[in-house]
Amino acid sequence: MKNKRGSALVVGAGISGMRSALDLAEEGYRVTLIDKAPGLGGTLRQLDYQFPTDHCGMCKMLPVVERDSASQYCLRKGFFHENIDIMAATELVGIEGEPGKFQVTLRHQPTMVDPERCIGCAACVTVCPVEVPDEFNAGLTTRKAVYLPVPHNVPNHYVVDPAACSRCGECERVCPTGAIDLQLEARKAFKVLVVDDELVVRDSIKEWLEDAGFQVEMAESGVEALEKLSQGGCSLLLLDVKMPGMDGVEVLKNAREMHPDLDVVMMTAYATVETAVEAMKVGAMDYLMKPFDPEALVALVVNRYRKLLRMGEQQFEVGAIILAAGFANFDPASAPDTYGYHTFENVVTSIEYERLMSGTGPHGGKLLRPEDSQRIRKIAWLQCVGSRNLHLNADYCSSVCCMFSIKEALLAKEKSDGQVDAAIFYMDMRTFGKDFQRYRERAERDYGVRFIRSRVHSVEAGEAGCLQLRYSDIEGRMHAEDFDLVVLATGQRPPAGSDELAELCGVERTPSGFFKTEPFSFSRTAKQGIFVSGSFGGLRDISESVIQAGSAAFAASTLLHAGGGSLSRVTDDEPAYRDVTRDPPKVAAALCSCAGDLARAADFKAIAQKLEGMGLEVFLTERMCTREGLDEACRVLRESRANRVLLGACMPYVYQRKLKDLGKSIGLHPFLIEVADIRTPAFPGRGEDRARVTREIASVLSMAASRLQGIDPLPPRSVPLSRRALVVGGGIAGMTAALGIAEHGYEVDLIERSEKLGGNLHRLYRTLDGWSPQQLLEQTAAAVNKHPHISVHLEARVVHSEGQVGRFVTTLEHAGGAGETIEHGVAILATGGSEAKPQEYGYGQCDAIVTQHELEDQLQRGQVAPGDLTSVVMIQCVGSREEPRNYCSRVCCAAALKNALYLKEHNPHVEVYILYRDMMAYGFLESYYTQARRAGVVFIQYQVAAKPRVETANGAVTVTALDPLLQREIALSPDLLVLSSGIVPSNGNDELAGIFGVTVNRDGFYQEAEYKWRPVEFLREGVFACGIGHSPRSITESMAMAEAASQRALSILSRERTMGGSITAQVRHSLCSLCQLCIEACPYGARRYDAEDEVIVIDELACQGCGACAAVCPNSASVLRGYRDQQLFSMLDAALEELF
Amino acid sequence: MGEFEPTIIAFVCNWCTYTAADLAGTSRLIQPPNVRMIRMMCTGMVDPKYVIKALLEGADAVLVSGCHPGDCHYINGNLKARRRIKLLKEILPKFGFDERRLKMTWIGASEGIDFAETIRELVAEVKALGPNQARRQMVI
Repeated sequence: MKNKRGSALVVGAGISGMRSALDLAEEGYRVTLIDKAPGLGGTLRQLDYQFPTDHCGMCKMLPVVERDSASQYCLRKGFFHENIDIMAATELVGIEGEPGKFQVTLRHQPTMVDPERCIGCAACVTVCPVEVPDEFNAGLTTRKAVYLPVPHNVPNHYVVDPAACSRCGECERVCPTGAIDLQLEARKAFKVLVVDDELVVRDSIKEWLEDAGFQVEMAESGVEALEKLSQGGCSLLLLDVKMPGMDGVEVLKNAREMHPDLDVVMMTAYATVETAVEAMKVGAMDYLMKPFDPEALVALVVNRYRKLLRMGEQQFEVGAIILAAGFANFDPASAPDTYGYHTFENVVTSIEYERLMSGTGPHGGKLLRPEDSQRIRKIAWLQCVGSRNLHLNADYCSSVCCMFSIKEALLAKEKSDGQVDAAIFYMDMRTFGKDFQRYRERAERDYGVRFIRSRVHSVEAGEAGCLQLRYSDIEGRMHAEDFDLVVLATGQRPPAGSDELAELCGVERTPSGFFKTEPFSFSRTAKQGIFVSGSFGGLRDISESVIQAGSAAFAASTLLHAGGGSLSRVTDDEPAYRDVTRDPPKVAAALCSCAGDLARAADFKAIAQKLEGMGLEVFLTERMCTREGLDEACRVLRESRANRVLLGACMPYVYQRKLKDLGKSIGLHPFLIEVADIRTPAFPGRGEDRARVTREIASVLSMAASRLQGIDPLPPRSVPLSRRALVVGGGIAGMTAALGIAEHGYEVDLIERSEKLGGNLHRLYRTLDGWSPQQLLEQTAAAVNKHPHISVHLEARVVHSEGQVGRFVTTLEHAGGAGETIEHGVAILATGGSEAKPQEYGYGQCDAIVTQHELEDQLQRGQVAPGDLTSVVMIQCVGSREEPRNYCSRVCCAAALKNALYLKEHNPHVEVYILYRDMMAYGFLESYYTQARRAGVVFIQYQVAAKPRVETANGAVTVTALDPLLQREIALSPDLLVLSSGIVPSNGNDELAGIFGVTVNRDGFYQEAEYKWRPVEFLREGVFACGIGHSPRSITESMAMAEAASQRALSILSRERTMGGSITAQVRHSLCSLCQLCIEACPYGARRYDAEDEVIVIDELACQGCGACAAVCPNSASVLRGYRDQQLFSMLDAALEELF
Repeated sequence: MGEFEPTIIAFVCNWCTYTAADLAGTSRLIQPPNVRMIRMMCTGMVDPKYVIKALLEGADAVLVSGCHPGDCHYINGNLKARRRIKLLKEILPKFGFDERRLKMTWIGASEGIDFAETIRELVAEVKALGPNQARRQMVI
C-alpha cells in the first residue's frame, strides 16, 4: 500500500476530533490525535443516548472500506486506527513554523501509572484515602485520586489525578506490578525558596508545599534570600513584593543577575499588584495575590515545576493543525443563582441529568432525586440557561439544548413507562434540523411531554422536598407548579484553555470567545494551516459537528496535498503474510498465567492436556499484557510455525491492536489469530472452585480452538478502483465538492441539468453576515470552469448507473439526446432544492404578496425601494412544520431577519412585523434576532391553531393575527406581505436516488446512512450526499457539507486498490438456488444478481460482514468468512462437551 | 452432585452485548459462571439452526442478545433477529423444548450491569425449569 507523507495534528479527541482524524487517516495521512483528558470521547463519553434513535450507534463512524485498519468494536469504549497516534492527557503548548511545516510541542500530563504494567486490579483504589467528585458522573458521585477516567474504556488503565493526590504513597506500595510511580523523589529534589518578611506567610507556604512533596527553604529578607541563592541548588523563588530593606523587585534583579535562568514568582497584596506586573517585565514569570488559596498556590508551583523540567514534552513536525477542542457547558454556579442551582441539590444541569439517567450513573439508571433518593415523578426542563442572554455575554443560541431536552424528556417518559411528568419551559423550541420537528411532535403527541412557552421567574423550595417553579406564560399570567427535579438546559461556552490556544495559534476570536473563521467557511481561520473542527467552532450538535469535522479535515487535506503530501512513497505497511492456504490447520495456543495468578486458580496442566488432545500446541507465558510477555509469545509462536494462533488472556479487546503487530512478527494474517478471555472465569466470586474454573477455561479455549480450526485461511483480496468522481448538481454544494476533489488531483465530472452553474446562488445577493453570494458564485464557477481536472456537463442528466463502489458506470443524456458513459469510483449527489411556491395566504392573487426570495430579488433590482414602504408583514413557516411538509427549512427565519434588517437599515421608519411560530435563530444568528428587535422589528408569535388570515381587495392586503400579549386580534395593512415558504427538494431527487440505488426520505430529501454518525454518506457505499438535496441549510452549511462529502470520497479515491474487511460474505454457487433472499436481506446493497452468469455477486468493499445473508439463506449457500456453520457447530460441541 | 447448575449458550453481538459482557467482566461484577459466550458479528446472523443445535446438544437455555432497536451497527440486524426468535419460540415446543429456554434481550455496550443482571435472572429461571433432557433422549 502507498502511504501519504503529510501529517496533521488534531487537538481534542471528542467526536469531531475523532471524525477529522479518521477522515485524514483513511485518506492515508498520518495523524496525531491528542486530548487534554485522560481518555477519548469528549462529551460523548457521558451520553448514553442520542437523538434521534435515543441510543448510541457511534460505531457506525468507523471506516467502512479498509475497515480492518481500524478497531471494530464499540467506539465509546476505545478506538484505534493504524494511521492515528492517540495521546491522551496531552496538551498542545507550542507552535512554530509555517503552514505545511509546523513544529509543534506537546506536553503529556503524567498519569503516574504505567499503562504497560497496570492490570486493572484496583488494589490502588482500595487503599487510596482521597475522595473527590467524579467528573465522569458530573460530580454526582465520588472517586479516589487514583481512578478510571471512563469506566467502560478499553484498554482501561488507572490514572492518578495529581491535583487530588495526597502523595501518601499507599498505592505505590500495594500495586502488585509496580505500575505506579508518584515521582515523589523528583519533587523532593525541586527546591523552592520562599522569601517573605512575615513568618506566618512563610510557614504556611512551607507547610503546603512540603505536603505537595517539594523541598522548601525560607528567607525573611532580601539579603538572606540572595545569600541562600548564592549557595545554588534553588529551582524556584517565591518572592514577596513589599519587604523592609531590599524590596522584591530589587531582589529579583539581583537574583536574575546571579542566576539568569532562575524561575521567579512574585507574591503581592492587592495594593502592590502593579509592582508585581512591573516585575514580570524584568523577569518574573508570574504573580500570586494574597491572601493565598493553598490549592491555587500549589497548582502554580506544580505547573512551574513541570514547565521548568520540561516534563513530558515532545516536539515534531506536522503539516496542518485541526483544533477540535469542543465546548464547555455553561456553569450555572458561575452566574447569579436565578434557578437555585447553588441552593438545591435537585436542580441539575442537563449533563448531570444525563448521568442520573445512565446505567453507569449514580443510581444505576433509576430516576431518583439526588437530594434524598426519592422516586422522581415530575421533571421540569428550563431552556436557554446561559444562552440567549446578553447579561452573560451570550448573544447566541447554543443550538443543541432544545433537542437535548426533548430527548431527555422522552427518555424519562420511556424509562418510567410514561409515569413521569415531563415539562419543557422554553422561549422558542428550535427544532431546525432534519426530522427535529417530527421528533418534537412525537414527544408531545405520543409521549405527552408538555411544552410550555414561558419565562421562568424563580425556583424555590416547595412541598415534600419538591421545588416550586414560578413562571409567567406568554400572556403574562403567573403560574406556580411543583417538580421533583429541575433540569437546566445549560448552553455552550468556549472550552477551558481557549485563551491559551488562541494566543498560541494567533487566531482572533468573536466577542463571545469563539474562534473567528473566514467568510463562507466554518473551518478556515485567518491563520493558514490552522483549522477549526466541530463544536469548537461554536454551537453545533453531533451531526453538524461530524459534518464540520469532515470539512475541517478536508481543508487540512487540501493544504497537505498542496504542500507535497500527494508525493506517495511506498511503505511496507502491508506485511507479507505466509501463504497457509494449502496447509492443514495447525493451532498453537499461548496461554497467559497472569504471573501465576491464574495458574493458582485453575489447573493449567489439565487445560493444556485437553487442548493437546484437540491437536493444539500449547505454550504458557507469564504476562501477555506486557511488552516482554507478548515478545516471548511471539518468539515461541514463530518457532512453532503454527498456522493458526489462539491467545488465552484477559480483555480480548485490548489485544485487537496488538494482533496486527503479532501477525506481522509471526507472518500470520491477524484474521487467523484469536484471543479468548480466560481471566473472567477466575474473578473473585467465581473462582473459588478450582475444578470449575479449570473446566470453564478449558471450555472457552476449546470453543475458540474449534472456531480457528475451521477458519478459511484465504486472505481478503484487494480490489482496483477507478479514481474518478461524478458529482451531480452544479449548485454551490456540487461545485464545492467537485473543486475539492479536483484539487486533490482526481478527475471529476460535474453534471448540471440546467444551462448554467450556480443553482440558488443566482437568487441570493447578500447574507446576514454581510458576505456576497454573487462574488462567491462568480469565483467558484470560474474556478470550476477553468480547472483542468473538472469536466462540466451542462444540460445533462443521469439516466442510468450500475456497478459498485470503486467501479461505477454511469450513463448521461445530453440536451440533444446524445448519450455518454462515464466510469467513476464515487458519486456525490448535490442536486439541491428550491424555495417552495406557497399555496396559502393569497399568494398569486396580488402583486403585494411575495416570497422571501422574490423580495430579495425585487430589492436588488430596484423594483421595490425600501423608502417607498411604510409597512411590511412577514409570515414564517408558510406550508412548513406541518404535514405534509413537516420540517423546518432552517433558512427562512434567517432570510426574514436579513430582509427585515435590510429594510430597516434603508428606511428606519418602515414598520416590519414578523409573524412567527418559533424564531429559528439558532447559533450565532441569535445576535441578528437581537439586532432586529433593537431596530424595532415587531415579532408576533402565532399558533398553528390560530394562523394569521390574509384578505386581498383591489391589490391591497390585510393581515389579521392574534396578538398573544394583548390577547386581541390585530389587523395590519402592509404594502408588502412576504411569505417564508421554506425549501423543497429538487424534483428528480427520487429518480436520481433510484438510479444510484439509494433512497430519499418521506419529504423527498436524500436519506443518509445515519443522521448523526454518517451524515454525508448513503448506506450504498461510494455514494455521498450534500447540500440542500440532503436537508435545508445555509450557503456556508451547504459548502461545509460538500467539503465533508468530498473528504469521504477522497478516502476511497486516494488508493489505487482497496481492501474489504476480513469478515465478508461469500456465495457457494453450487448450492445457490438464486432465490435472491440474500439480496433483500443485505442492508448495504452489497449483493446483486448477475443475470448474464446467473450468479449472485457480492461487492466485497460494500459488504460489512453482518451475516444477515447467511442467516436467511435456505441452502447455506451464503456463508460468512470466519462464521461458517461448521465452525459454529464445532464451537457449540466444544461448549457443551463438559456436560456429559 | 450438588445443585443443578444450568449451562447457557449466549449468542452475543460484537458491538453491544459482547462489549457489555466484557464491561461486566472488567468491572468485576459478580455473575454466575454458567454462560458460554459465542461472539457473533450481529444477532441478525444467528441462524435458528444454531439455537436448535445448542438445545439438542444439551444447553439448558440459549440467550440471543444484541443492540437496542435502532442501534444496530448493521442498521437492522437485531430486528431481523427479533422476528426470527419470535417465530422460533413458537416452534420450539415441537422439538420438545420449553420456549422459555430461549431468550432474546437488548443490552447496549455500556450496560455491563444489565448483562450481569440478565444472566442472573436467566439462570434463576432455568433452575426453576430444571435441566434440559433433550440430549439424553436424542442419544437413545
